[in-house]
Amino acid sequence: MKERESGMIWKIAKKEFLLNLMTFKFAVGTILCVVLIAVFVPVLANDYQQRLQKYSQQVTNNEAKLRQVKAYRVLTPTLFRRPQVLSVFSQGLEKRLGDSAKIGFGIIPDFDMIPEINAGPAELNPYLSIFSTFDVLLIFKIVISALALLVAYDVVSGEKEQGTLSLTLSNRVARAHILMGKLLAGALTLAVPTTVAFIVGLLLLLGFPSIDLQASDWARIGIMYIASLAFVLAVYNVGLLFSCLTKSSALALVLGLFFWVLAIVVIPNGSVYLARRIHRVPDVETRNEQIESVRGQLRHEWSEKHNELPQGGGAYAAEGPFGGRGHWYIIVCDPAEAEYWKKGASLEMSLNSKYGRKLWEVEHAYVEGLLMQTQLARSIGMISPTCLYDNIMSALAGTNMADFQAWIASAGTYRQTILAYIRNKTDDLRDLSYITQSTEAERIAWAKGGEFSKGAVQAASEHTLPLNLEDLPRFTYSTGVTEGLRRGAADLILLFVFNIVFFSLSFAAFQKYDAR
Amino acid sequence: MTYGQIESGDIPMIWHIVRKEIFENLLSLRFMLSLILIISLFAASSFIFVGKYKQQSQDYWEKTNKNVADLSKNLGRLNDLAFFEQQIFHKPKLLALCVEGYEKSFPNYVKFNIFTIGLPEVKASVNFTLPYFSDVNWVFIISLVLSFVAFVLTFDSICGEKEAGTLRMMLANKIPRYKVLLGKYCGAMLTLCIPLLVGLIVSLIIVITSNITGISGLEWLKILVVVILSLLYLSLFVFLGVFVSCRATCSANCMVVLLLMWVSLVILIPSLGRTASNMFSETPTRVELNRKLYETERQMWDNSDKFGKNAGNSYADANDPRMNLPARARLYNALTNAKNGIIEDHHNKMTAQALTGRNFTCLSPTAVYQRASEAVAGVGIGRCTDFYRQAKRYQMNLKEFIRSRDAEDPDSRHLIFDEDNSRGAFDWRTISKRPVDFSTVPKFDEQDLGLGHSLKLAIWDIVLLILFNLVFFAASFVSFLRYDVR
Repeated sequence: MKERESGMIWKIAKKEFLLNLMTFKFAVGTILCVVLIAVFVPVLANDYQQRLQKYSQQVTNNEAKLRQVKAYRVLTPTLFRRPQVLSVFSQGLEKRLGDSAKIGFGIIPDFDMIPEINAGPAELNPYLSIFSTFDVLLIFKIVISALALLVAYDVVSGEKEQGTLSLTLSNRVARAHILMGKLLAGALTLAVPTTVAFIVGLLLLLGFPSIDLQASDWARIGIMYIASLAFVLAVYNVGLLFSCLTKSSALALVLGLFFWVLAIVVIPNGSVYLARRIHRVPDVETRNEQIESVRGQLRHEWSEKHNELPQGGGAYAAEGPFGGRGHWYIIVCDPAEAEYWKKGASLEMSLNSKYGRKLWEVEHAYVEGLLMQTQLARSIGMISPTCLYDNIMSALAGTNMADFQAWIASAGTYRQTILAYIRNKTDDLRDLSYITQSTEAERIAWAKGGEFSKGAVQAASEHTLPLNLEDLPRFTYSTGVTEGLRRGAADLILLFVFNIVFFSLSFAAFQKYDAR
Repeated sequence: MTYGQIESGDIPMIWHIVRKEIFENLLSLRFMLSLILIISLFAASSFIFVGKYKQQSQDYWEKTNKNVADLSKNLGRLNDLAFFEQQIFHKPKLLALCVEGYEKSFPNYVKFNIFTIGLPEVKASVNFTLPYFSDVNWVFIISLVLSFVAFVLTFDSICGEKEAGTLRMMLANKIPRYKVLLGKYCGAMLTLCIPLLVGLIVSLIIVITSNITGISGLEWLKILVVVILSLLYLSLFVFLGVFVSCRATCSANCMVVLLLMWVSLVILIPSLGRTASNMFSETPTRVELNRKLYETERQMWDNSDKFGKNAGNSYADANDPRMNLPARARLYNALTNAKNGIIEDHHNKMTAQALTGRNFTCLSPTAVYQRASEAVAGVGIGRCTDFYRQAKRYQMNLKEFIRSRDAEDPDSRHLIFDEDNSRGAFDWRTISKRPVDFSTVPKFDEQDLGLGHSLKLAIWDIVLLILFNLVFFAASFVSFLRYDVR
């Protein structure tokens, strides 16, 4: 008996599925989707490839500069954020956030000091904000969801109009089974364009020489596929509900389309709009004032403590490879003043950790304020499955804000690593090698030759070889599947809940449906 | 029956069709739903606009008054006026009610003295972590929601009647087909006008009763033009809907095609602009700008003798024989002009990049309509360029003012140029130090473009919209004439 029932569900599903495949709407929707994917995936992939190229170039440059570092004081590399290959699927904030972070320490005498980690929004052409972002997600979000609605609207009311519903119900088949069959058929039908679109997109993506997908990327694509199915099914379920609620299929379609416009256009825009009204972002002027005041404190404390140092500072300095003001190291200095440099270095470092942190906190608080607004917009948007889907996809693609924050946090950890490395190499800054490699003899020679002893400077520069930084840990950052899934989990669950709720509602409506 | 009698009998016939269409539409659920959705959107957008406009005006006047106050405070002598750095801001516009033009993320302020003018910058708290979004305003509602409603109203206009069998009956009468088509078109347009006009009136009432500001005659005219543009835009969607309805075999298929067309025209094509802009041109960067500025400055300094002997030397005593003040003035003026040119060039490149993308999106009538309304309302990129131009013109006027006042002072050397040393450190008396009356100093006030000028900017878009209308009209006309009603 049980077997027969499940057999019945399957029979209905098969019939519906085959009927759907023959329809005009299915053909047009699928073809449009595939054509769009085929045209735009290469464009998006090409864009990614260019960003990747820029990234590798920057990393190579940085590495080359690291090979020129001649004192630990100027060991301040820039960290770069690797573009995410899955940004082709969901661009999220990928291009709007900065792709580099400057690590700041050891530049105290320059009072334009930067926070511990200096990374902010990417420099963009502001006038381009007239355009919204374009990615594969947009095609799915709009075209396949429209198709889902078109498949769903006449599932029940259409059969009633044709009179086949009463025929079906005159058999000994439970209403629940019919609806289950229809849900299954819808899922199967919509899985076809989704799968084809994914396969076409991936094939095109793999055609690019510099794109290679790791195991974790494949896993994330797999989850994206599941999320996409859940999303189209959610829209299908809404269509099904309207179909079960109305007597005519045209009415179901109109209702469904209004829901669709609300979910796709009105809610995503409106949620951002409302969030901006409800939660004001922190004032940028206030932040600038705070930064200025921290810098003022720093200036004050530096000049105060600097006076306590043993006076001196006669030295021949050179600019480090990473450039920028205050970015210097010493080739040779007066031996009598070595003490000044040692104490100066440790003062520099202590002030740096104190004020670098303060500046970072100011920046951080500002960005947190912005994020609260964004979070609010997300929460309001959660009533629309489109927003949920959006969140899941960007979380999986590693292009949302959480990913950027994680990257910054890992840049912070790396900063600590470098700091520990330097402290380890320079006997906790007590060694003069923090600031210069000159030998005692060279310093004495320089001091003897007076302030401009060119010979001594030359000898010292020749002696100053780049540091061996083979054992310096390099910055690595990667997001795994688990992080992506963790960040998108809540939304994914909500999407499933959305499905279940709407299916149960259709179920309830269908039980009472008048098939005459 | 004479010929004339048939004519007179026909005219009410088309009116009958229109009336029938309207009543049929009015009673339908889709119409009610659209009406509710659209009016609530219009009302919500206007309430939000009022709040935003108040806030913006307050900010604007605060900043502008501060600028004027600083100007008057620092205004002792003529040379102070020359070196004073003014900060001017975009004036909030009432017509942002119709279309906002994404100005919230555009540069809205510029800093200048009479010599140099900076790059327009964004002086507002912009949340870079928010997704791109458009404010809900008239053009947004019309371009997205009403265009959709136009399709919903027309998708079964021909094939639906065929399915119901009423089309045959109608055509069995002595009415020519084109009249049926026009009747359908007018019926749909008039039905669309109801939510549109009610929405607009609700919106205007909210704005007028909130007392934020009066609406000037020019603004009323511009609003009227925006409404006409909206009608043109909606009309092309109605034609397109009727056309597809003529070609489709059944109304369900027609809806499918129309829905996918709507998706492509209204959402997909306009969002391709960014990709297109990035494909066709590089984003100009600050680094590039600074490098250019630096190189130009270095080059000029290297060739400073071109402007006269000793142009590069500077001493405290203006009569020092090692120094050549007129040559130095020439050098500095050339320098500031070159820098201003580079900055303007950079700004032009930025706007040009966005405009390239926009031209690409003009395959979609939605983008054309948005661009036309922005031009008429005086918002958007065109406004930013115009603001920059006005700031430059004001800068020139101010310079002329200073030059004329300076000419009256026999003690001055009449060398108007910008060098740090001449500002304070050295008393060269290059510009007069006579006191100046604050009330005579010209002040900056952003002017709106006149209607003629705005229309000139929008003319090609209007032509395009009319062209779209004609094409879809012709297509639906031909299709319907050959339509098989069986």
